[in-house]
Amino acid sequence: MHELKLEDNPFFVLGIATEASRIEIEREAQKLLGMLELGFVDSQTYQTPLGPRPRTAELVRAAVAALRDPYRRLVAELWARHAPPPRAAEPPPPAPSTGRPGLRRRLGWGR
Amino acid sequence: METPLYVGIDLGTTNSAAAVFDGERVSVIRNAQGATVTPSVVRLDKQGRVTVGTRARRFVEQDPANTAAEFKRLMGTEKAIEFPAAGVTRKPEELSAEVLKALRQDITDQLGVSIERAVISVPALFELPQSSATSEAARLAGFARVELLQEPIASALAAGWRADGDGAGTWLVFDLGGGTFDASLLETRDGLLRVVGHDGDNFLGGRDFDWTITEHLASRLSVVPRRNNPDHSSALRALRLAAEDAKIELSRGDKAQVTLAQPLSIDGQDVDVDLELTRAMVESLCAPLVDRALDVCMRLLTANGLAPGRMGKIVLVGGPTVMPMVRQRVAARLEAPIAEGHDPMTLVAQGAALYAATAGLDGRAQSVSVPAGRQVWLQYPAVSSDLTPHVVGKFVGDNPPAKVKLVRNDGAWSSTEATVGPDGTFLTSVTLLPRRACTFSIEARAAGGEVVAVTPPQLTIVQGLTIGDPPLSRTLGVALANGHVQVYLERGAPLPARRTFTHHTVETVAKGSSESILRIPIVQGEMSQADLCRLVGTLDIGGDKIKDTVPTGSAIEVTIELDRGGRLAARALIPAIGQMFEHVAHLLVPDAAPEALDAALRDLRRQLMDLRGDAFRHGLGHVIEKLDRLEARMSEAERDIDAAHGGDADAAQRARRALLDIDGTMADADLAKKWPELDNEARRVAISASSTVGMHGTDAERSLLQEVLASMEKARKDKDAAELERQMRLASRLSGAAFNRTSEAWELYFEDAASEVSRCTDLPKANKLVSEGKAAMDRGDTAELRRVVKGLWQLLPEDSEARKKAYDSGVR
Repeated sequence: MHELKLEDNPFFVLGIATEASRIEIEREAQKLLGMLELGFVDSQTYQTPLGPRPRTAELVRAAVAALRDPYRRLVAELWARHAPPPRAAEPPPPAPSTGRPGLRRRLGWGR
Repeated sequence: METPLYVGIDLGTTNSAAAVFDGERVSVIRNAQGATVTPSVVRLDKQGRVTVGTRARRFVEQDPANTAAEFKRLMGTEKAIEFPAAGVTRKPEELSAEVLKALRQDITDQLGVSIERAVISVPALFELPQSSATSEAARLAGFARVELLQEPIASALAAGWRADGDGAGTWLVFDLGGGTFDASLLETRDGLLRVVGHDGDNFLGGRDFDWTITEHLASRLSVVPRRNNPDHSSALRALRLAAEDAKIELSRGDKAQVTLAQPLSIDGQDVDVDLELTRAMVESLCAPLVDRALDVCMRLLTANGLAPGRMGKIVLVGGPTVMPMVRQRVAARLEAPIAEGHDPMTLVAQGAALYAATAGLDGRAQSVSVPAGRQVWLQYPAVSSDLTPHVVGKFVGDNPPAKVKLVRNDGAWSSTEATVGPDGTFLTSVTLLPRRACTFSIEARAAGGEVVAVTPPQLTIVQGLTIGDPPLSRTLGVALANGHVQVYLERGAPLPARRTFTHHTVETVAKGSSESILRIPIVQGEMSQADLCRLVGTLDIGGDKIKDTVPTGSAIEVTIELDRGGRLAARALIPAIGQMFEHVAHLLVPDAAPEALDAALRDLRRQLMDLRGDAFRHGLGHVIEKLDRLEARMSEAERDIDAAHGGDADAAQRARRALLDIDGTMADADLAKKWPELDNEARRVAISASSTVGMHGTDAERSLLQEVLASMEKARKDKDAAELERQMRLASRLSGAAFNRTSEAWELYFEDAASEVSRCTDLPKANKLVSEGKAAMDRGDTAELRRVVKGLWQLLPEDSEARKKAYDSGVR
């Protein structure tokens, strides 16, 4: 039950949306495994709500295996949907103070 | 560049076969006699000359002492097989190597290429030492690299590959081999094959059919030969070969005459054999065995919520499935059509060849050639169900080309130009043709537009059905000194897999002392208690091997690795002394002396009686049913032990495995015996987890706990102790994760650990930690408090009884 660890959620590991089709999942995993094997810098970390995490071939294989199983995929979707947005490596700069607090929300930022 | 050639080998108990896949077509290799299967029989004559296959099988009856068969069952054991004429002994893997050499030669003779790499199939429930012995056999046969693949996956892949036009759906592979039965439920969707579920009987196969017929024939002789009498073994062997031939004959005709040219010598008397056997008689003798296999299938369907009649088709694999009665009974009971057009004898080899393509394992010997042009490393799937897979590459060396384009060799498609990064990397995708092998030329250009020659100049991708990574069949972990198991790889984890955990030593390992040993036991099983799991290997670090004394509580990083075929490797790093240890003592399958088997059976019978009494007292109907099934299995084991007394090493190993299996099921039933306590514990866990997760958990944790609680309720209703224990573990983990986020959790743990400080192995260190912990508590520094608590836990001693049960584990 690796899904219990939020940061190992298969959707975060593969960097794909919870709506991804089966073939999109397979394609992304195949690409990442190739990139990891050849040492592509971009492939070596992934974003999670708890900050960036190192991505390994084992994690990618485990993620794709989890998403092939309908039940495990459902659990992973549930976790990924409820999770806060990924956190960047550095804390984001403080939000600029605006005189119109509702503006950011209307533009789709924050809750 | 020539097309790759993928090789698959079915190294069977009775027969072996080889197949090759060229990217579009699978071909079964024929041996020198023109047959597609080669009997797994090896003979050594007095000059030491080796004969393999059909020619060797002819000597099974004439010269049994120098002719070995069914040695696959002895793989991984220390049993040496004697060849008195040549005055030599051979290990089972050396004999398997002879069969592999013969198959390798057949491929070279038929295709004119030398083969160095292949995929070899192994039974789904092969233990680690048996897999290891198979790899060794391949090495001895001259293979530079092999991958092992579970037989049911191989047959599923072969059957699925040829399922053109069948579309998506659920189907079943019914694989009745020489010695084992496997049922696999599969699903094909979007070109991807998934094993939905698997079940089997490790003690049911064609061999049982042969023995049933043999015993029937023996009972009709004027003097009846017995399996427990070593003096009758030669007569029984001759009768069994005749029974096997008659069974094959009755697959086509209604009657067969069992006649032996020479009379059998039984207890000093010559006994003539001339008996008639009818198909009806053989069918009635073998029907209970087929029904046993069908019971396994029904159990598999029920476990996956499927009723008979809901499957698209059934694929039959293995020699015994050629019998018309087997086909009829299977189709009738499972209410699904039998898939036509598959050869049950070579399907596994064909699947192994297809899998070699998926694994990118080109079988041909690699020629050493000087690369012409810029070398590029490529990563792409050798087989892809996706019509537009990615190709990832990296040029070796400085100043890589600026652009790369892939051109399909039919000239009808080419990729857009991909930009090569300053580090030489590029990423592009290709378009494949359905069910075809497509070759693409790699065209590279420098920044100025001039063409750059590339090595390799092209790549080939086959479009077709792919299968996910093979799943691990049993959970693997390290036994800890407190009697629990640290799970490294869960059942179902995709292989290959690797995981590292940091443990701490529970006692000092003194430098230079060979008595002082740090043991890391590696266990397999689904239970959380180490003694209920099976020990599969140990990593021993002796005091005489270390550079410096390793004090109690030292960190030790253990990595466990399994390859696709389930071969185990482990290593331990002790950072304090900077030393790495890698030698895992793989356990051999123990010898099975008939007297030891007798004693084990007596013990198990006694335990069974106790368990039955308890089950009746607690009204556990399902446990009683389980125990009834075990009793039947014990009777079968008893027959095998009888044969073991008669000198049948194969029957002895079979009995040993059966007894181990019975012991495992008994442990499960033993857990059920403690049902009332377990049930109460489950209620307590449910209440505690609901309250903790309710107060401190995230939304996702709350949703997941609801699911876990529902599963716990179902397990309680079904009185399924093992499942209830598993779900309780999950609930506790969720609850623990939520609770550990609070500061009060660590204050509580600290107070608890500090109250036991007098028991710590290093008192000054423990007292210092307690002072630091108090200061951290005053400051409200949870992170520091956490560090202190973990430090104190390392210093608390383990219970010696628990440690003994955990195979003397030296780590926590």
